[in-house]
Amino acid sequence: MGFGDLKSPTGLKVLNDFLADKSYIEGYVPSQADVAVFDAISGAPSADLCHALRWYNHIKSFQKVKASLPGLKKALGHYGPAGVEDTTGGGDAADDDDDIDLFGSDEEEEESEEAKRLNEERVAAYNAKKSKKPTLIAKSSILLDVKPWDDETDMVKMEECVRTIQMDGLIWAQASKLVPVGYGIKKLQIGCVVEDDKVGTDQLEEAITAFEDYVQSVDVAAFNKI
Amino acid sequence: MALKELSSLEKFLGLKKPNKYSTQGDRKVPVLQSNSGPGLVGLVTIATHLTQEAKKPDLLGSSAEERAVVQQWLEYRVTRLDGCAKEDIRTILKDLNTYLEDKVYLAGNHISIADPLMYYGLHHIIMDLAVHEKEKYLNVTRWFDHMQHYPIVRHHLPPVAVLRNRVYTSGHH
Repeated sequence: MGFGDLKSPTGLKVLNDFLADKSYIEGYVPSQADVAVFDAISGAPSADLCHALRWYNHIKSFQKVKASLPGLKKALGHYGPAGVEDTTGGGDAADDDDDIDLFGSDEEEEESEEAKRLNEERVAAYNAKKSKKPTLIAKSSILLDVKPWDDETDMVKMEECVRTIQMDGLIWAQASKLVPVGYGIKKLQIGCVVEDDKVGTDQLEEAITAFEDYVQSVDVAAFNKI
Repeated sequence: MALKELSSLEKFLGLKKPNKYSTQGDRKVPVLQSNSGPGLVGLVTIATHLTQEAKKPDLLGSSAEERAVVQQWLEYRVTRLDGCAKEDIRTILKDLNTYLEDKVYLAGNHISIADPLMYYGLHHIIMDLAVHEKEKYLNVTRWFDHMQHYPIVRHHLPPVAVLRNRVYTSGHH
């Protein structure tokens, strides 16, 4: 959530659209949410942003009591339409893509400390964005065939051993199957979900074959990207 | 209709003892029975009286200008809204929409007695509005939605669904 950069015309426009059918930022009474956004804006919105202006003048009338308004003042990113980032104080308004233009047109004035500080803020905001990005972690679903030495091998024990293998990014599936191979020998089919960056099939295979007493070999029966 | 409205108004004003009302004439003008002397006739008159009784004079407006505006809308309610013809509805909504463009409440920056009374008067109109019309008169819809969420105002009337996601993004100022 957020309004984009409230110090820029784009952000104000988002605010204006947001307020078109609302009297307040949150709920139906003035609250700290309104105070938070009010303080973030540098001045009264222009007359063509009629909803923002209406809201601004209305909230201005509460200036004397603003400390006693209900609610908790939160960061600007909590308010506003979903899907819009808050970039106030970070320089330019971000557009629909995720990257802030680091070298973008400086709407700021002079160089020296101002610019340095803003640059840092921008970099911080950029990094924050970047770190927020991988909500799509590459995952795969792997089905492993674990084969015992012979039909005497205790399959239950074997499964237990396999499940003790813990790795960051590895989640064992709840279900597992015993599939007969022939001559009374059964192989253990067990699935797991791994994060590609953290776990590789070689690692898994090595770890499983480490249980030499039970495991003769391991194969990857199926490997699907999620 | 007016009687239910007046009892809702009493609740809104925080009046503990409900008054006795009756109606007069075929236009069903409400009458407030009082023990001493003749009853008070007329929605606006009664509403104003109730507000005074509840000792909430700011609901009538806190400055001379505000008081005038409140009276204006009370009068509007009785003269133009009640019993208006279908053709007038468009004009009324258009006027209201323009008026409410830069206002959160009808008079000033806080609620007054004009707001719930206009809300009651408009309710049946808004209820019948189609979605695209609600968006056309966006300010009215906004104010209306605000009113129906204001504590106690809505009392006897069913809530009207106001679409939050704007379907038609055209038509702005």
